[in-house]
Amino acid sequence: MNDATDTASRSPREASDARGKALANGLFNAALAALFSALFVQAGELPSSMWEPLGAGSFPRLVLGALVLFNVALLLQSVNAWRRSDAACRTGTLAWFIHRRLAFATLATFALYAALMPWVGFTVASFLFLLGVQWILGARRGQRLLTALIVSVLFSVGLHALFSQVFLISLPPGRLF
Amino acid sequence: MPMTDALLSSVEQLFSLATIASMLIGVVAGVIAAAIPGFTVTMAIVLTLPVTFSMPPLQGVATMLAVYVGGCSGGLISAALLGIPGTPSSVATTFDAYPMARNGEPGRALGLGIWASFFGALVSAIVLIVAAPPLALIAVKLGPWEYFSLILFAITVVASLVGKSVLKGLMMSLLGLFIATVGQDPMMGVPRFTFGVDVLAAGFPFLVVLIGIFAVSQLAGEVENPEELRQGKALIHGRLQLQPLTVMREVLARPVNLLRSSLVGVIIGAVPGAGGSIANLIAYDQAKRASKTPERFGTGIADGVVASESGNSATAGGGLIPMIALGIPGSAVDAVLMAALMVQGVSVGPRLIMDNADLVYGMFLAMFLAAGMVLVFCLLSLRWFLKITTIPKSVIVPVVLTCCAVGALALNNRITDLYLLVGIGLVGYALAKLDYPLAPLVLGVILGPIAETNLRRALMADEDWTLFFTRPISAGLLILAVLSVAFTVRGLLRQRAAARR
Repeated sequence: MNDATDTASRSPREASDARGKALANGLFNAALAALFSALFVQAGELPSSMWEPLGAGSFPRLVLGALVLFNVALLLQSVNAWRRSDAACRTGTLAWFIHRRLAFATLATFALYAALMPWVGFTVASFLFLLGVQWILGARRGQRLLTALIVSVLFSVGLHALFSQVFLISLPPGRLF
Repeated sequence: MPMTDALLSSVEQLFSLATIASMLIGVVAGVIAAAIPGFTVTMAIVLTLPVTFSMPPLQGVATMLAVYVGGCSGGLISAALLGIPGTPSSVATTFDAYPMARNGEPGRALGLGIWASFFGALVSAIVLIVAAPPLALIAVKLGPWEYFSLILFAITVVASLVGKSVLKGLMMSLLGLFIATVGQDPMMGVPRFTFGVDVLAAGFPFLVVLIGIFAVSQLAGEVENPEELRQGKALIHGRLQLQPLTVMREVLARPVNLLRSSLVGVIIGAVPGAGGSIANLIAYDQAKRASKTPERFGTGIADGVVASESGNSATAGGGLIPMIALGIPGSAVDAVLMAALMVQGVSVGPRLIMDNADLVYGMFLAMFLAAGMVLVFCLLSLRWFLKITTIPKSVIVPVVLTCCAVGALALNNRITDLYLLVGIGLVGYALAKLDYPLAPLVLGVILGPIAETNLRRALMADEDWTLFFTRPISAGLLILAVLSVAFTVRGLLRQRAAARR
């Protein structure tokens, strides 16, 4: 990738970022190339039609074939970028994750929210999620915590009321209550 | 339906109390959403979609257009008052509106932007009305060969324009086309790549893909930096004084700049993939080049604000031209509008204007109405704007994520859609971090079935593959597709060579 063309002139952090990205991109495209190759073979088993020259599998095979070619091209680019990047530089994977800890914590809480919703219902799950994420993002005490509480009640109860009463769309009630 | 009947029917539907009320709410929501840094117009539109399911088609689309037109203007507020673009389409607005506000004229900066946005939207609506019907008349005459080539052209333009790497852009478009093949085959109804999973039987739910890609993954990106989370401090203090008529005269005193910037916006909006963010910068650049005093740009002059704001607002109407005339969305926002029509059972394509004339005229009228509503709302609520821009991200992000969950659940009321949303959000976040552009993926998903159907129809009509290259319009479009990629690759190679030197 062009990210690594002039690694030497960049700061150590950027250089490490480019090396890490090249590695991640390479692995990602290798995995996709394998997946799409398998799907390409599977699409060959889809039925053809008597009425048309192309069957159900033709278009997907066309797309999957092109995808594999692009994945291989991107993989080669990543290998190239990895080679050109400074070998003394570590990929800094752990530092990358630590730097983005709040984003991952927010996404993890969102996943927990989805898992919890069928059990405790939309309102309770939303309240816990809203309060939890605001707490993670810094609303720990005093005025900010109070605001967080008000926002959590307003948007968990309010959204439920809006959708069930106004739009007549029911949101999950929960199995436990 | 005769034209006058269609027009009367659309007026009747549009000027009902329910539609006007929902449009007003849409305008307010759009302006507020775009004013909040980190909350984009696309997110606002995507989250409006589930709310419109219970509305009649025109009311639903008019509400979404109101959010869109409101959003095109709302980005101005944080750009002028905080120096932070509220949406990517107001980057150039910060160049002059912010210095003007810092120089003690925040009211004038906002006023100029609001009026310029209004006139930009107005010009784009006029061009839309003039250009879309004749284009649709030509489009109905296109055969499946031309249609397939047109989609290929649209996809290559999007992949080339968005992001830093054409290869990554094209890969994402293809990924979108593949995602669209999951579920039932469009001609024979054979299930494909469903692996026995019930949720996938009808294909990936488009709305869930949209919310996951454009909202969840982007929101996660917003909370990466702990220092930024406490932001929300207004940098402009003091009273906002607005003299609407004086400022309006100031905007109208620059007719050439206003018209040029609006037309730049319309044209860029109509090109697939290029939206408000590009129009805003190009309109500003063009105004600077044409100016007798280009050195004053960036110091807080009226010409800069007028060019950037009329440019980005005019993309709203421009983007609707290919959607209404050809059934091909010009941007992610238009793809969502198209999805809204499809959910309502309206088939989108060149026959839309003939089969649903009242709906299309209603959309034209809704553009004018929304532009007027945005103007009035912005002028009346100016003093509240400072407060809106100070809401911290630590509150915005969880609230919008909750709205995303509601959006995903509202379509089918299936909890599995919510799990899918979490997964797509995670994948979208990873893709964004690896510099993969997400817009080509979404356009690939929406254009996939149209591309496949036309390819198969073309070969059903005649098995000869060479027709794609020998029919003149189809060949022309394919040449344009190749050229769009070639020019971008050449530009990138030149950039790289310059960087090496």
